[in-house]
Amino acid sequence: MQRNQIIRTRLGWKLLDGIERLVSALWPARFKGSVGRVLLLPAVLLIGILVIGLGYMIEYSFHELDLSTYRLKDEYSLVNYAVIADRPVYMRVLNRTLLAALIVSVTTVFLAFPYAYMLVRTRSALTRKFLLIALFLPFFIGQVVRAYGWLIILGKQGLINSLLEGLGLPALNLIYNYPSVIFGLIQYMLPFAILLIVPAVAAISEDVELASEGLGANWISTFRHIVLPLARPGLIGAFVVVFTLTLTDFAMPEILGGGTTDFIASAIYDSFFQLSNAGLGAALSMILVMIGSVIVAAIFYLAGTGTLGVREQSR
Amino acid sequence: MSRMVEVKDVSKSFDGTLAVNAVNLVLNRGEFLTIVGPSGCGKTTLLRMIAGFEVPSAGEIRINNERVENIPPYRRSIGMVFQKLALFPHMTAAQNVAYPLKMRRFEPAQIPSLVDKYLQLVQLGDYAGRYPHELSGGQQQRVAIARALSFSPDLLLLDEPLSALDKKLREEMQLEFRRIQQELGVTTINVTHDQREALVMSDRIAVMNEGVVQQDGTPVDMYRNPENRFVANFIGMTSLFEGTVCATGDGVVSVKSGNVLLQARSNDKVLPVNTKVDCAIRAEQIRIVEDASVYDNSVFGTIEHRIFEGDRIVYTVHVEDLGGARLHLFDHDPVSHKEYPANERVRLGWNARDLFAFQAPQSN
Repeated sequence: MQRNQIIRTRLGWKLLDGIERLVSALWPARFKGSVGRVLLLPAVLLIGILVIGLGYMIEYSFHELDLSTYRLKDEYSLVNYAVIADRPVYMRVLNRTLLAALIVSVTTVFLAFPYAYMLVRTRSALTRKFLLIALFLPFFIGQVVRAYGWLIILGKQGLINSLLEGLGLPALNLIYNYPSVIFGLIQYMLPFAILLIVPAVAAISEDVELASEGLGANWISTFRHIVLPLARPGLIGAFVVVFTLTLTDFAMPEILGGGTTDFIASAIYDSFFQLSNAGLGAALSMILVMIGSVIVAAIFYLAGTGTLGVREQSR
Repeated sequence: MSRMVEVKDVSKSFDGTLAVNAVNLVLNRGEFLTIVGPSGCGKTTLLRMIAGFEVPSAGEIRINNERVENIPPYRRSIGMVFQKLALFPHMTAAQNVAYPLKMRRFEPAQIPSLVDKYLQLVQLGDYAGRYPHELSGGQQQRVAIARALSFSPDLLLLDEPLSALDKKLREEMQLEFRRIQQELGVTTINVTHDQREALVMSDRIAVMNEGVVQQDGTPVDMYRNPENRFVANFIGMTSLFEGTVCATGDGVVSVKSGNVLLQARSNDKVLPVNTKVDCAIRAEQIRIVEDASVYDNSVFGTIEHRIFEGDRIVYTVHVEDLGGARLHLFDHDPVSHKEYPANERVRLGWNARDLFAFQAPQSN
């Protein structure tokens, strides 16, 4: 019995030694330091390709469309940018998109925080499971499907209007307007925001909150002076992500707006595929990229890089 | 002396399991009490109920003669130092110490001088502007204690704050905590699983096990006169073996264990003949002897192993005559340099007053 065990352990060690030798033959130790860099390669390649695409877009945006051939002229000009500045519709679309991004990101972060906090702090395993499932379920349902779902509920013959009709009340215009787009966007962005806030809340030790309470702070003061400042990186990260996602969103305004409330992405789409004007579309894209980058850069500048979760090494 | 804390028949159960079972404790103003016990004995739950983070299932807690069971922590006058310190990482040492003063609406003009006073008290006057991550472990400890004391609470609670430190620093901080506590005269309850810490720091010790206070007394009392087998075993290095009372006298009983007759101390308890008892003896009370006549009790045994600890040697001796019991003993004879090898047959001796006999729990 004991002898068998000893033999078995010995065999085990031999096996492990063998595996180790095999591994070191296939992947010598001197390569080990470069593993991290090798794994980085695919991501670097992907971003590199993106940068090349961006380069082409910049190039396109400086060429006017030749209406006789429907190709971009060879000479460089600022005509596309002049057109955008000239036509009030583009300014309107731009303002509408920016305002939506602001409203959606502020509201979403505001709604996401209690959810994330509850998810982290709840003592009940059942509640946590429910919150987790409710958080991940929407990810399995695409944006387009969800937007159509809202059409079914909010549409002219939708659930709510049939209900109102049954009660003898007049039907309401619940879709194809700005508020419905905002509503749909908030609903779409909420899980992203929660996912970004959860780690920030989880990083706050519960003892710190208890300590604050023990030192004389009620929960409102604890929230203001302890939880909020410590969760700030997560809140700002969520704000930035939701802001940029909304700024560039296409499906929600298209489906729930029904053509009445175009965002920049719709204008870009139209330029490329309706007007076949790649130059104009590229110029609109450039403006979108510029605005987005400036705003995100400004937020990071004001809030510090800690926001990204990349803290400066503490001593 | 006036009472600062009174815990009366306090119980707490979680999902039907009793974590704290009808505990009674009284603490006088200025006293330093340590609750010591193995992990899961209910000591932390008891502390959290006193702090207000848990509500007792039954019983009363009074602080400064006021019932507090339903008063939230932020309205109690208690400073607590947490096991993981729980310093606010986004605040400097000074801001940490100022926090309770702000929350408790102290006069704003008063706050800087109080912060300064308490940082001086813990010898961190020069570190006011440092953030917690810029301070060493010991310095963080001291910020935590300054923060817990700056608002002059009625009561200071320590939830094993020293357990994460290395031995040397821990021993330093034990003395430091004790110095500060005595300087301010603040009533303190300390919770630990470290019996040494309990002996070194406290005016009084309460030993807890399985939700029950086993014994409550001064450190000397706790060490010299343990009331039951658990306390004797928990404090100090103790060997245990079983026996039966065969004669009883004035504070002394004769116990038959294995095939030897021993003189033991019954600790003022009446132990009639034929009572089953647990015998306990501390490692430092046993000697390896040549001449047994000096001691009340003497047995022969075989050295099983030997651990060299520098200032002393710990022997484990197998005693066939005591029903095969293993006795641990310390040998700190620094002069003779004598070491007994393993398997050597030795004679052990000890006195009756050092061998405790406790009535064995009734087995059903």
